[in-house]
Amino acid sequence: MNYPVWEVPGIGLPWVIGIIAIFHVMISHFAVGGGIYLAVAEAKAIRENRRDWLPILERHSKFFLVLTGVFGAVSGVGIWFAIGLIQPEATSTLIHNFVFGWAIEWVFFIVELSAAAVYYYTWRRIPDKLHMKVGNLYAVASVCTLVIINGILTFMLTPGTTWLKAAGTGHESAYFWNAFFNPTYWPSLILRTLVCLSLAGVWALVSFSRLDDDTFGKAKVSMIRWSAGWLLPAFVLMPFMLGWYLYMVPRENQHLLELGMTTIGSGAFTQITRIALISVISTATIVGIVYFFAYKFPKDLTYGHALSVLFIALAATGSTEYAREAVRKPYVIGSHMYSNGVRISEVDTFNRDGYLTKSMWSPGKDASQVEVGKAMFRGQCLSCHTAGGYRSMRAFLADRDAKAIGNILKVLHDHKLDSPYRYYMPPLVGTQQEIEALQSYLLTLKDAAAPTKVARK
Amino acid sequence: MSKILDYVDERLSLGELRAFAAKKKVPLHRYSYWYYWGGISLFCFICQVVTGIMLLIYFKPGPEAYDSVRQITYDIHFGWLIRSAHNWSATIFLISVLIHMFSVFFMKAYRRPREFGWWSGILLLLLGLTFGFSGYLLPMDELSYFATKIGLATPEALPVLGKTIANLLRGGLEVSDVTVQRFFALHVVILPLLYLPLLGLHLWLVQKHGNAVPPSEEEKPEQERKSIPFFPNFLAKDLGMWLMTLNAIAIMASLFPPQLGKMGDPLSPAPVGIHPEWYFMSQFATLKVIGKLVPGFLGEAAGMTLFALGLILWVLIPFYDVKTKGGLVAKRATYFGIFVVTVLVLTTILGYVLA
Repeated sequence: MNYPVWEVPGIGLPWVIGIIAIFHVMISHFAVGGGIYLAVAEAKAIRENRRDWLPILERHSKFFLVLTGVFGAVSGVGIWFAIGLIQPEATSTLIHNFVFGWAIEWVFFIVELSAAAVYYYTWRRIPDKLHMKVGNLYAVASVCTLVIINGILTFMLTPGTTWLKAAGTGHESAYFWNAFFNPTYWPSLILRTLVCLSLAGVWALVSFSRLDDDTFGKAKVSMIRWSAGWLLPAFVLMPFMLGWYLYMVPRENQHLLELGMTTIGSGAFTQITRIALISVISTATIVGIVYFFAYKFPKDLTYGHALSVLFIALAATGSTEYAREAVRKPYVIGSHMYSNGVRISEVDTFNRDGYLTKSMWSPGKDASQVEVGKAMFRGQCLSCHTAGGYRSMRAFLADRDAKAIGNILKVLHDHKLDSPYRYYMPPLVGTQQEIEALQSYLLTLKDAAAPTKVARK
Repeated sequence: MSKILDYVDERLSLGELRAFAAKKKVPLHRYSYWYYWGGISLFCFICQVVTGIMLLIYFKPGPEAYDSVRQITYDIHFGWLIRSAHNWSATIFLISVLIHMFSVFFMKAYRRPREFGWWSGILLLLLGLTFGFSGYLLPMDELSYFATKIGLATPEALPVLGKTIANLLRGGLEVSDVTVQRFFALHVVILPLLYLPLLGLHLWLVQKHGNAVPPSEEEKPEQERKSIPFFPNFLAKDLGMWLMTLNAIAIMASLFPPQLGKMGDPLSPAPVGIHPEWYFMSQFATLKVIGKLVPGFLGEAAGMTLFALGLILWVLIPFYDVKTKGGLVAKRATYFGIFVVTVLVLTTILGYVLA
């Protein structure tokens, strides 16, 4: 807890990152897929002498210029801003290990941005072959941004044993490539590439469904049908890639996916299973929807149909990203740092010397027990919970008295192997006095919620 | 493969069916998307049948009802999902049926020769609402117990036969496990026996008379009207919409699965703010408002009479708005429809405010 801690009521800190990150992921996947799509489509149009495709592709490419240059860039900076304030320890660890990787990614991003601008503004102004080369550069640069960032994202779930052995020694960055090509790198890269291709096809459907039949009739039909085919690789390969990905995920994280199979009892952590179901169903059905709406009868595809397909595609992407992020629990960096920024290696020290002793933001010596408890809450709970909104502590404590709250805190502190919370909650660290202070603070939250139980309607 | 198809075709004359379907046209105009809602309702109904059969495997009507639903929700692999999908497909079913009914109304699709389609549709909606009401009690938790108790108090206010009907449904003077048994029989046997033939008739009428076009389209000369073949063009889009609906059900069922409250206890007081499901909220709010103006039996009787009159007017609209050309009568019928939609929406909102 060496940095200021935000308190965002209502949606809480996880969703500040979640909203920006899911938006950014969608944008970036559209951009990567779009880069490949434009390059391949233009090459096909020229090779097969389908010149009527080119004005349509020109219109289509404008979207990607705006998407990458405006929304991609802004949301990317937004992620940095949010993670820096919400997960400072994890961000610090990532920067110390991957500063070189990020530098390369930004170079590729600048190349992508520049190539996208040159590509759009040089339609019909430079020879076809040169324009295609610009398109290829745009596609390669955009793919390279994915190739790099995928290494950092997958590292957070599976840092790999080599890096974990070096963690805390001060020589972690010497194991850059081990951390980068971690166990889930390749399945994740292929999965993401498939998603990019699918989203490129889906956006093409949205874009082409608005074309005027009288002006673009024949080209419209052929391009819609061809774009629908872009979902096929994902449909065929995704189950296998997903299986491979899950196989590489540690068993304890796999178990999180199973928690909601049997029950939805209150207090049980079932979100990941439920969200993963949405991901599976929407991914499995989208090809069918595209087949019926676009491939079979491309002439009849309306803007409304295409938007419906886009909505399902976004639901599939968003839910998959949520599940991927959540399956990392209770860590923010697998087997190294818990989701509240406490490193595994620090647990014993914090328990012996106190959690707040080394914090620059701990309350003063004269602070009351409740103030100490509040500092504990802000440091260890706020990265996942809120007082009364998302994962509300008030709702969780509603039926519990002081003794019951104390018991739960003890279970969290002991973090025994058979603890049901162990799969998704970090251990509660600190001295006995600090934990009692947290208990006192939680009781004030519970009291503030009176009447504690709203009658069910 | 072709030999198998030939074998089947020779015996079942599938070719004729295909030729018939291909001959059938679906009008193409700016309001064509309203045509999907009947199909969406049908798909939701199929989902309810499938999930309902799966729930039947574990559900035990009678005294064990609550425990069996608890087992389904909290013990059995994906039992909660099946229950949730059953619940949400019912909700989306009623929404789509209502949208379908009002789109039919505003397209004037109740006019000659489609009157029986209109009447059978209204009956299907009423049966759908009864499905909802009877299914709601089956978990027998606190919420469903008291909602049913209050729900059955309404027909009890009907003069002459009210008490007899309520007692017949309840199986006594109070809602109990006997009521669950009766509602179960109603939900899985009696209602499907009534619903399925009626649905068959409704679908046959749609096939026979085809899709109606809105008055604005009707005024166009024949050569300016566009259409697409039902098979395979419209059917493909319909199937796409079914998959979209499946996604909507999956999203809602996964994100918002229904929990199970405490077991319904006749001796405990009703939870504060108890109210029926959204599809009975309009009637609930209306009765509440009338009850405040005219307390007691008279108020309830007045409310019931109002609903009955509204329904009768709704059913009889094909006899009032008969002309194909627009005119004052047609406009009045449209205004009546707008009035009904407004009242339903406002009273539903009011119901949630008052609850």
